Amino acid sequence: MNHDPYSWGRPSDETYGQYSDAIAHAPSFPKMNTQQPIVTGTSVISMKYNNGVIIAADHLGSYGSLLRFTDIERLFPVGKNTVVGISGDISDMQHIEALLEELETENNYDNSHADDEESLQPSYVFEYLATVMYQRRSKMNPLWNALIVAGVEDSKPFLKYVNLLGVTYSSPTLATGFGAHLAVPLLRRVVDRESDVEKTDMQTATDTILQAMKVLYYRDARSSRKFSMAIIDNDQGLVFNKELEVENMKWNFAKDIKGYGTQKV
Amino acid sequence: MKSCSGKTVPPPPLPLEHPSAMSQPIEHQFNPYSDNGGTILGIAGEDFAVLAGDTRHTTDYSINSRSESKVFDVGDGIVISANGFAADSTALVKRFRNSLKWYHFNENEKRLSLSAAARNIQHLLYGKRFFPYYVHTIIAGLDEEGKGAVYSFDPVGSYEREQCRAGGAAASLIMPFLDNQVNFKNQYVPGTGEKRPITYLSVEEVVKLVRDSFTSATERHIHVGDGLEILIVTKDGVRREYHELKRD
Amino acid sequence: MFLTRSEYDRGVSTFSPEGRLFQVEYSLEAIKLGSTAIGITTSEGVVLGVEKRATSPLLESDSIEKIVEIDRHIGCAMSGLTADARSMIEHARTSAITHDLYYDENIKVESLTQSVCDLALRFGEGAAGEERLMSRPFGVALLIAGYDADDGYQLYHAEPSGTFYRYNAKAIGSGSEGAQSELQNEWHSSLNMRDAEVLTLKILKQVMEEKLDQNNVQLCCITKDGGFEIYDNKKTGEIIKLLKEKEEEEKTQQEQDQQQGEDVEMS
Repeated sequence: MNHDPYSWGRPSDETYGQYSDAIAHAPSFPKMNTQQPIVTGTSVISMKYNNGVIIAADHLGSYGSLLRFTDIERLFPVGKNTVVGISGDISDMQHIEALLEELETENNYDNSHADDEESLQPSYVFEYLATVMYQRRSKMNPLWNALIVAGVEDSKPFLKYVNLLGVTYSSPTLATGFGAHLAVPLLRRVVDRESDVEKTDMQTATDTILQAMKVLYYRDARSSRKFSMAIIDNDQGLVFNKELEVENMKWNFAKDIKGYGTQKV
Repeated sequence: MKSCSGKTVPPPPLPLEHPSAMSQPIEHQFNPYSDNGGTILGIAGEDFAVLAGDTRHTTDYSINSRSESKVFDVGDGIVISANGFAADSTALVKRFRNSLKWYHFNENEKRLSLSAAARNIQHLLYGKRFFPYYVHTIIAGLDEEGKGAVYSFDPVGSYEREQCRAGGAAASLIMPFLDNQVNFKNQYVPGTGEKRPITYLSVEEVVKLVRDSFTSATERHIHVGDGLEILIVTKDGVRREYHELKRD
Repeated sequence: MFLTRSEYDRGVSTFSPEGRLFQVEYSLEAIKLGSTAIGITTSEGVVLGVEKRATSPLLESDSIEKIVEIDRHIGCAMSGLTADARSMIEHARTSAITHDLYYDENIKVESLTQSVCDLALRFGEGAAGEERLMSRPFGVALLIAGYDADDGYQLYHAEPSGTFYRYNAKAIGSGSEGAQSELQNEWHSSLNMRDAEVLTLKILKQVMEEKLDQNNVQLCCITKDGGFEIYDNKKTGEIIKLLKEKEEEEKTQQEQDQQQGEDVEMS
């Protein structure tokens, strides 16, 4: 009999081998420092036009190459004239969603001017998010996302980007992730410089965004057919369409593709 | 492994490069920095100073924006730019603006001199010595005698007053040109073998040098281009000039 | 059983019903027991002068230190519980040198004074959660004199209550009442440094109980170029000699005037 009280009631070493007491020496506060994105959302694309902004994102939540969730909304209205589009890690996105809800609640609470003078403006929402993103990266514990804040402020279109590093920039056309490579060149064919915004109406902008979403669905393996598009118009306010699908695709070129995959020539 | 005599001998050590020799877990860390390209340039004249920067903002091979300013007039005749990692640049300029505001509160609205601003920025940078702001910082303005002044900083706060300094992506392309054209390095008086004496340049000459520097850097550096913003500080205040650069 | 005041003079942060903080008011009384200190500004510099009250003939008068340097461009004279001034001086010196470190320039005299007065209030807890540092208010007042490029020569009076005022000339301590009214009569904007030195000694002489000599007074000045400079006994002695000459002059002048007056009456 082993008389050491520490060994009482434990599986015998003879039968089960040396008992691991490593847990007793584990530090009291485990720390998880960094992460990698797990379930992810792909590109958010956006552009300005002469009376507002358009922003779009699809409904897919990918788990690696597995199309895991197919009905995720990644555009979030904040107040009356702001929409935040989020790509990257979906759980971090949902955390940001909670932050935005809190921001709105705190701003409205006990505030009789919350609908007018003190309503949340796109620039306020952006500044808040950019601060959060930079603080988190500076703690080496980033929110693994790239965000676009779109809206109308003082009757002028507002469009700005921030990502997991806290890097921010603004441009008349913006896209995150794959969209930065595939969609931005298409969007810039219509609006390349700030002066082009004046020459672009809502219809042209909408068509351009739809076309870019189609190209992304063609070429981005982690994209879905269903997507949402929000228009923040200076006159009409927020027009939010959550039921869109990529249409009029042409696949007749596919039969001519040879040389990849398993088929014989 | 058994030898001829039947004794067990240890296998020879694997070379370090061998994959199984590195079977310890591979640490993967989040990289908190990125390079957002762009370049900046400050030149001091006799009674003026300029600070210029391009407006292209990049990550890797993507142009994020063609119109992102990075030179700022913060008041008190001080212009500032921090070039490198854009998020740190934004944070540093924001902190300096805040510091300036507190200086006005504490010192009874006293105007912050450029030398005081420089020392203050040193402490902002050195305060993050062990998690640095990844930027090359330049400030420009007038000194207490009214002479043009440029101060430049390394990422952790070492600083120096200079006649001119280029920073950022194309600094190594522009700086030698500046040495030659502003400080007349390697220039000699014809026929005498004597060094060409240093003289002050006019604003017009300096703006020409700045524009040539940026058009040339745009040709040779992929992270430079789109637009050029020049802030010019004189005793009358800060003036802004904008010129297009090639967008390819 | 209770004296009228005693209910409200215990806690340093308790107001009396009339809205007074007795401990702070008592601290001001402590200064009135202190030796006299005088400061005079001129267009050429600032002069500070203090009385060094020797409590024993065996006391080494050099060991009494009531004028100190804070930075090259700022000096200060004290009156009251001078031991309390030690922590104020240390704080002031730290503030001045820290400002130089952070801004590569001399701290403004007003900012320095403000920083000392911030410390003076630390007998209570701060609104921003600052800890209470001291059990009672300071029992000392300071005359802070200095030069800066923005506001030129300045003289501030800093009290234990945490308030401060700027003066052209100011006297504090036991003889302050008489001294202040004398300063009011004598100060004018065109005084030079020599005038200010002599005036300081003249007034100290009037309010001091002992006979004034170079051992029981101390002078210093702050000028733009020379910075803070404390006067040694020899230099003080020379000014005392000058004061005496001036007094003689005035005396003979007075006698002459009187004589003339009598002559006029006679004729």
